[in-house]
Parts: sequence; structure tokens; C-alpha cells
Amino acid sequence: MRSLTTSKPAFALLAGLALTGALAGCTASPEPTAEETAPQTDESTTPSDTGSNAYADGTYTESASYQSPNGTETIDVTITLTDDVITDVEVVGHGESPDSKHYQGEFIGGIDAIVVGKDIDSISVSKVAGSSLTSGGFNKAVEAIKLDAAA
Amino acid sequence: MTLPHNWRFEAIGTGWQIDTPRPLGGVLEHAILDRIAGFDRTYSRFRDDSLVARIATTPGRHVFPDDAAALFDVYRALYEATDGAMSPLVGAALDRLGYDRTYSLRATAPAIPAPGWDAAVAWDGTALTTLRPVSVDVGAAGKGYLVDIVAAMLAASGVEEFIVDASGDIAHRGAEPIRVGLEHPLDTTKAIGVVSIGNGAICASASNRRVWGDGLHHVLDATTGLPTRGIIATWAMAETALAADALATALFFADPARLAERFEFSYVRMHATGRVESSPHLDGELFT
Repeated sequence: MRSLTTSKPAFALLAGLALTGALAGCTASPEPTAEETAPQTDESTTPSDTGSNAYADGTYTESASYQSPNGTETIDVTITLTDDVITDVEVVGHGESPDSKHYQGEFIGGIDAIVVGKDIDSISVSKVAGSSLTSGGFNKAVEAIKLDAAA
Repeated sequence: MTLPHNWRFEAIGTGWQIDTPRPLGGVLEHAILDRIAGFDRTYSRFRDDSLVARIATTPGRHVFPDDAAALFDVYRALYEATDGAMSPLVGAALDRLGYDRTYSLRATAPAIPAPGWDAAVAWDGTALTTLRPVSVDVGAAGKGYLVDIVAAMLAASGVEEFIVDASGDIAHRGAEPIRVGLEHPLDTTKAIGVVSIGNGAICASASNRRVWGDGLHHVLDATTGLPTRGIIATWAMAETALAADALATALFFADPARLAERFEFSYVRMHATGRVESSPHLDGELFT
């Protein structure tokens, strides 16, 4: 999944993304020096035809490192571009030291995604975590209210 | 592998299931039910004989059982991390919206903010001193904590591998992690992802699953007394079910980065827009 791009504009865009993350992290981390090394890139996918878009559609991954209080930490940021719009962002941290996950959590913040539900029967799980099994009393009360409302 | 013995029961108004390699036996089962009943006698807002009911009518110094310290510590940490939005003093605000002992589910009065922690009560590690009647509600973390308490009883009895599942608040012990599906809050036949839980806990909360009126549900912002908006479902994974349950509620109010200053956890949460946000070091996957 480490991969990359030959597209300079997308490269610049990624750097901007990482920087935004670093700035957001400033509020929480003690002086993140955020000395980002020159990102290492290697190529594993070929961006598709650029057409009239500023950036070629495709999936781009960058590795970046930054200085945390525990030393150098690295993250991989993967974005998917479609028609110049970021349609997906994935950030994978490689925390080694005990506190690094914690700092990376602050550094990265929320990662957004659009999810697609899969049938629970199809995914082989031991348990399901949700709130569908709410208390019987509550559910009965809701049913009673619905009946009242219909009356 | 699946654990072959599945003990199911109802307690504190919800379904429980305990999975183990061997039957627990009547003595341990009885002790567990007894412990849960004892917890309910202390903390239930919905029974007249509970300690919490007494606090709701009588100011003074109320000594809690030993188990209360961990619960109040987590509440205090999250009260601070959410700027007061998550508070154990929301009982009266919940009552007003109809989330009361009879589940009347009718708002009886305009919403009111919960009293401020330091203005209304003082917790000294053993006792809660109240200056006026206050309605304590530990619903945001109590069930998870009870899951931990039951898990500790199993471990103390020599059970090394088990799952305690109190309808979505789940603790696991054992060599092999389990896969837990994240139920889609809008379609309970579907999951939005799956996470791996090994010697840890996951708790879920979904505001839309207990809705009883126009925008009324049970996750209240204590600073306004009104139901939260914006986030519709949360999942928190942490070492204890107490932390996971409390964090699952706090995620309705707070920036996860702020919670991460005080707790080691991972999370998934769904916004009302349908977008899903998650921590970067999720041990699992979202179906995107």
C-alpha cells in the first residue's frame, strides 16, 4: 500500500495536507517541530489520463516523518483523487514508542470516510456492537407511544 | 474459535450474554447476578431504594461503595475534557425530556442544563457531598463498568477465556482476539466495519436508537440539557469497558484529540451526514 506518484501537483497538494495536519496538531502537542523530511516516494500505480483536470485521478501515498517528543515518527498518508476532488483519505501511523500512538492520534485527528454497509451475515464476526438491543422496557414504551399517537 | 457455553440473562434492563469454554456453574452465576443487583441498588435512578434516589431528595454526605471511585474518576476526566457537556448530574434533565423511571417519554418541561459539578457536589473519593438534591445518572458509563466488574469476577474464578456482552458493551479475555462488527445505526442488518478486540473492550452508542420524539434521545449535553446533534453513532475501543463506554458517550461531544490527551483508545464515529470518522490506528477496517 505504500505507493506513489509522479505527479508533481498532487505531490504538492499532499505536502499541503500533511502540513495542515501538523498545524492542527500544534494545539495539542508540545511544540511539534514538524521537521518533515523530504517525503520518500516510490511508484506502484500509474495515475490515469489527466484529461482536463489539474491532477491525474488516482491513489497517492506519501510517507512523512516528523519529530515527536519520543523521537522520529512516521505516517503514511493515502489520498484518492477523482476529478480533482479528494474522495478518500487514509492515514496510517507507525507508532513505536509507548506514547507515539497517542501523539499520532492528536497529530492526525479525525479521518473521514464514506462507508458502505455490508450484510452482517456476510462478514464473519463473533459479536456485533451497536445499540439495536436496547432495553425491552424502552422499546415497549416507544410502541405504546406510537399506539397513542395513532389513536 | 467460538466459546461453546453461552449464558444469557436480563439485568439492568438489558440483555447479557457471557461466553466461556466451560459452564460457569450455579454458584458463580448466582454471585454475578447478585453483584449486578447490588450495583443497581446503588446507582439506579429508576428505583426508590437506591443510593442515587436518596441523593436526589436529600442533600448531605453520601458514602458510596468502593467501586464508585473508578467510575467518578472517569466521569470527572470526561467532564473536564468535554467542558461540562458530559456530566453525571444530567438525571433531572433526562427526566424533563421524559427519559424517566416509567419511560413516560414525554417532555414535561423545557430543557434545563445540569448543575455544574463544583457548584452542586463534591466527590472526595469515598463520598459525594451534595449541597442540594441532585439527580445523578451514571448511564453513560455504568453499564461498561459493570461489564468490567463481571469480567473481574470471571477472572478471579479462574476463567481465562471469555466474552462478556451486555448488548453492545463487550469485554474480551483470551489468547485469540475476536472480530466485532460495527452495526450500522440506520440499518441493523448491516455493519459499517469490523474491529479486532483482544483482551480489551468495545462499547457502542447510537443516539438514533433511543429516539422517542422530535429530536429527543438519551444523549444530552449537560450544559444545555438538550439532546446532542451532529454525531449519531460512536464506538470506542479501550482496555476497560468503563473507559470505552464513557468515551463512546464523550465522542458525541468532544474532539477525539482532546479525549486522547487523557485516554488511550481508538474510535469510530458517524456524523449525521453519514460520514464516518475514525482513529488512524484502528485495529480493523471500515467498509468504504
